[in-house]
Amino acid sequence: MSSTFQSDAFMQRLAKRHAAEKRFRLLGLGAIVLSLGFLALLLFIMLKNGLAGIDWQFLSGSDSTEASVAGVWGAAKGSLLTMIVTLAISFPLGVCAAIYLEEFAPRTRWIEWVEVSINNLAAVPSIIFGLLGLAVFINTFQMPRSAPLVGGLTLALMTMPVIVISGRNAIKAVPPSIRDAALAVGASEVQTVFHHVLPLALPGILTGTIIGMARALGETAPLLMIGMRAFVASPPDGFTDPSTVLPMQIFLWSDEIDRAFVVNTSAAIIVLLVFLMAMNGLAIYLRNKFEVRW
Amino acid sequence: MTNETKMTARHVDVFYGDKKAIDDVSIDIDNGIVTAFIGPSGCGKSTFLRSLNRMNDTIPIARVTGEIKLDGDDIYASGMDPVALRARVGMVFQKPNPFPKSIYENIAYGPRIHGIAQGKADMDAIVEKALTRAGLWQEVKDRLTDAGTALSGGQQQRLCIARAIAVSPEVILMDEPCSALDPIATARIEELIEDLKNRYAIVIVTHSMQQAARVSQRTAFFHLGNLVEYGDTEQVFQNPQETRTKDYITGRYG
Repeated sequence: MSSTFQSDAFMQRLAKRHAAEKRFRLLGLGAIVLSLGFLALLLFIMLKNGLAGIDWQFLSGSDSTEASVAGVWGAAKGSLLTMIVTLAISFPLGVCAAIYLEEFAPRTRWIEWVEVSINNLAAVPSIIFGLLGLAVFINTFQMPRSAPLVGGLTLALMTMPVIVISGRNAIKAVPPSIRDAALAVGASEVQTVFHHVLPLALPGILTGTIIGMARALGETAPLLMIGMRAFVASPPDGFTDPSTVLPMQIFLWSDEIDRAFVVNTSAAIIVLLVFLMAMNGLAIYLRNKFEVRW
Repeated sequence: MTNETKMTARHVDVFYGDKKAIDDVSIDIDNGIVTAFIGPSGCGKSTFLRSLNRMNDTIPIARVTGEIKLDGDDIYASGMDPVALRARVGMVFQKPNPFPKSIYENIAYGPRIHGIAQGKADMDAIVEKALTRAGLWQEVKDRLTDAGTALSGGQQQRLCIARAIAVSPEVILMDEPCSALDPIATARIEELIEDLKNRYAIVIVTHSMQQAARVSQRTAFFHLGNLVEYGDTEQVFQNPQETRTKDYITGRYG
């Protein structure tokens, strides 16, 4: 007397199922090795070419026609100023929009249309935002060309939808029972959101914000449109000074005919990657700091 | 503070969109006693409970018609602020839902937003009193800064009751407060309800008929959105007037 689970047919199927399991594990492992392998290769080449170029002169100087004198500080400071403007504009606007859409907006057709538009906005190619920045900030509002102020505003337009989307998801993930609890002791809706919902959603919002900011930091195309590709031989002193940004500096140097700039290009890439890793590190730190364990 | 009428409902209908969840319910809720709402799942008892402190306002498609009064004032009138109403009519939920903050902060939150406490010492006194009344003070007095969410389920529910008491409400609504608790924690909540009933009008929704029989003085039986029978608990359980009530409490359906 043998049961179904001891028959030959069953055993053969079982062996096949185990084989399929093994195949999938190998496939997954392969995918990781492939992608990480390329990343490691990139890092290796950049470090090999660029590490020699990193010295005090390089870290403290600005662009120059002379490769040995040219430095990355001007572009790094430009990036920093641009990011400050981007964060200062896109974070409060994005969080307010996310809160309003998720907690207060009446469910009307008009709001649905706004939601679809924001989702689409996040997918618009960045060069379009550059054209918009050129048309609105420079041509209409007469703001200075090549300035971190205009670059930051343009990148803020691009970053805001990302913050709105991640913010809404984070707010949606806060358990409704917390809202009930606050409302039931007589908290107003705004108090409920700011005292209870927002603090719980903050880690998610911050993660989304920093992902958006990291994308903005690496962005070149929209900044081309507003003139941030100019040759700038001194670091910007303020938000309205002509300046460039790190990825733009990389692009400019990679385009130089002088072979000596190859080292500078790789070295600037290293600086940009360190910048990005610092931002991601900050994201992880903030997420852990504000995360509430249940 | 004995059997005077605290809340009255007259011809109340509650709709979710086009669906009628409560049909023409009229009921008086008295001070100083416990009123139990019983009935099979989906009979509308929780829906009706949530319309007593306008928690249904948070559901966009929910609509209440008819008249519900608290001390003679219509709670759905335009002059009634739902925030002020909920300070007077507190609520405890099915699943314990402490704020993910300290035990102290859980209690102090309500008094703070309403400006009840005069300074730190006063707030400390309010917190101690609320926790004492909820029978939790002895267990938590040495760890008021610990997270409220770190307590056991039964303690969390008593914390939620203390949180509701801290704003000095006149009515406390409890929506199946013991359904997520074990029998020992349930017994403690029931003792607590017994201790609290003289000070407040308490309304409890429960799935357990034994619980209704143990803790309440009045029982309302809901079925399919209707209030089938309402009377003294003893009478409803021992001598129900309606066949549907009788069938339900003898376990023929539910």
